[in-house]
Amino acid sequence: MIKTKASRRALRILGIAAIWALCIAFFFPILYMVLTSFKHETDAIPPRLFFTPTLENYRTVLGSGILPHILNSAIITISTMFFCILLGVPAAYSIVFGKLKKPDSAFFWFLSTTLLPPVSVIIPVFLVFKFLHLLDTQWGMIIVYTGANIPIAVWMVRSFLKDIPRELLEAADIDGATRQRSFFKIVLPLARTGIISTALLVFIFVWNEFFFAVNLTSINASPIAVYMASYMTQEGLFWAKLSAISTLTVLPPLVLGWVSHKALVRGLMMGAVKG
Amino acid sequence: MNVFQRVAAIPKANAIILPAAIIVALVTQVPLLVTLVLSVVKWIVVRPDLGINFVGLNNYIQIFTSVDFYSIVLNTIALTFFSILCCTVMGIAFAHLLNRRFPGVNLARTILIAPFFVMDATAGIVWKTLLLHPSFGINGLVASWLHVPPTDFLGHYSLLTVVLLVVWQWTPFFVLILLAGFESISEELIDSAKVDGASAFRTLFQIKIPAIATHIEVAVMLGLIFILKTFGLIYVTTAGGPGISSTNLPYIVYRTSFYRWDVGRATAMAIVTVILTLVAITALFGFVRRKTREVEA
Repeated sequence: MIKTKASRRALRILGIAAIWALCIAFFFPILYMVLTSFKHETDAIPPRLFFTPTLENYRTVLGSGILPHILNSAIITISTMFFCILLGVPAAYSIVFGKLKKPDSAFFWFLSTTLLPPVSVIIPVFLVFKFLHLLDTQWGMIIVYTGANIPIAVWMVRSFLKDIPRELLEAADIDGATRQRSFFKIVLPLARTGIISTALLVFIFVWNEFFFAVNLTSINASPIAVYMASYMTQEGLFWAKLSAISTLTVLPPLVLGWVSHKALVRGLMMGAVKG
Repeated sequence: MNVFQRVAAIPKANAIILPAAIIVALVTQVPLLVTLVLSVVKWIVVRPDLGINFVGLNNYIQIFTSVDFYSIVLNTIALTFFSILCCTVMGIAFAHLLNRRFPGVNLARTILIAPFFVMDATAGIVWKTLLLHPSFGINGLVASWLHVPPTDFLGHYSLLTVVLLVVWQWTPFFVLILLAGFESISEELIDSAKVDGASAFRTLFQIKIPAIATHIEVAVMLGLIFILKTFGLIYVTTAGGPGISSTNLPYIVYRTSFYRWDVGRATAMAIVTVILTLVAITALFGFVRRKTREVEA
């Protein structure tokens, strides 16, 4: 009996070790990238397991003209996030609590636009932007990204607003609160966590976006994703530096993703299941 | 009533939907209509001397009489189908493995979902250089340990490599959703299966997986929508090559637009992409509906 207990225990430990090994293997590309970013170039190729860490790559990379692109990414992403929430929350509010004749069709209309492949809009957008001198500008990118991400914001925020009991608003109504007042005093505070998570997700999507960025920007407004893609051809095989840049591009969305992924799943499932 | 009166007549609680709706329409639906119009003209931007001419369905006829286009459509379908298949299988496997208590399970979950938040450009470049590079990547290192010549992934298995990268990025997304599914299964259901003496294997396939059918549908549906759009990964790794071996529809629309500046043909291809997307989604919906009915019957 004791023996079987011991062997069971060993089996369990082995199983856990195997699960861990699989997860680490899956994570390996990121781990390896981060490790390489702290190596001297001579330790990077061929890869040495033991090395003296250095911040030299980050120093070189940050001094080499990446900063304007980080700044572009930050400005475009944060502005888009702001506008998506500013426009998306009221839209979601009017779908959930408003007096629309067909709130569900309004919602599905927003949803349906996410099905659209970006290639189906890029040429008209490009031509109009060229005409309006919006090509390669931060404003141009903010407009496109806001339009492209509002549906996601509406989708997510709607699922959080649906959790707010209607009776609460009706009670406020009876107490004589105006709609604006109950929106700011009841709806917003209750949905705050959900709205913040939605904002973080918009941040992640916009920061990582590539298709519009590469087609609508060239030098002035190009975000870090575009710089990243062109770096290889410019600089060749300095892999420690390449890893340092890669790590910088990955860091913000990764941290925010770890914070907000639960809300993502919740919002997506709510939107899909309860219609 | 003129337009302004009409807008003014909308109750305030409804009017606040308008700014969002207008900007979404301006960025998505209006351009789509313009794309549709452009797909019936001949317009090569870099040849202004030729002008812009109405050519009817000529662009579509040209596309569908080109052999290359069929292999590109096939690439797109294969890339999407095999990626989603692998993501679903690996997603279920990982979610099942991580749906238990063991030391550090939260950390294991955290690192597993990380690839989903890595941008396409970075994922593509890191895989292309640090991992798959035949001389300086892990690929070359492993080959030298084994005393075999390194595999030229991007050259010989370009589409497969793209599938590999898509699977690496999207499996975490499937795990996220399916894990939420597994966690939502009630304890009683599992316990009653145990009481009935069902093996762990049978419990997984006959009780747990059917119980998370909705979650699988959502993951597959969203995976389908996003994987059909795959562009950045291809752009930074294979650039659609060698030849057109790893070119998908978004990539060929990009090439036709911004290298050849053939607006008519590019927009026609974009419309075909939209139609393919809609067909795929409708087919999937139909399949899901039929399955659900079978289960209910």
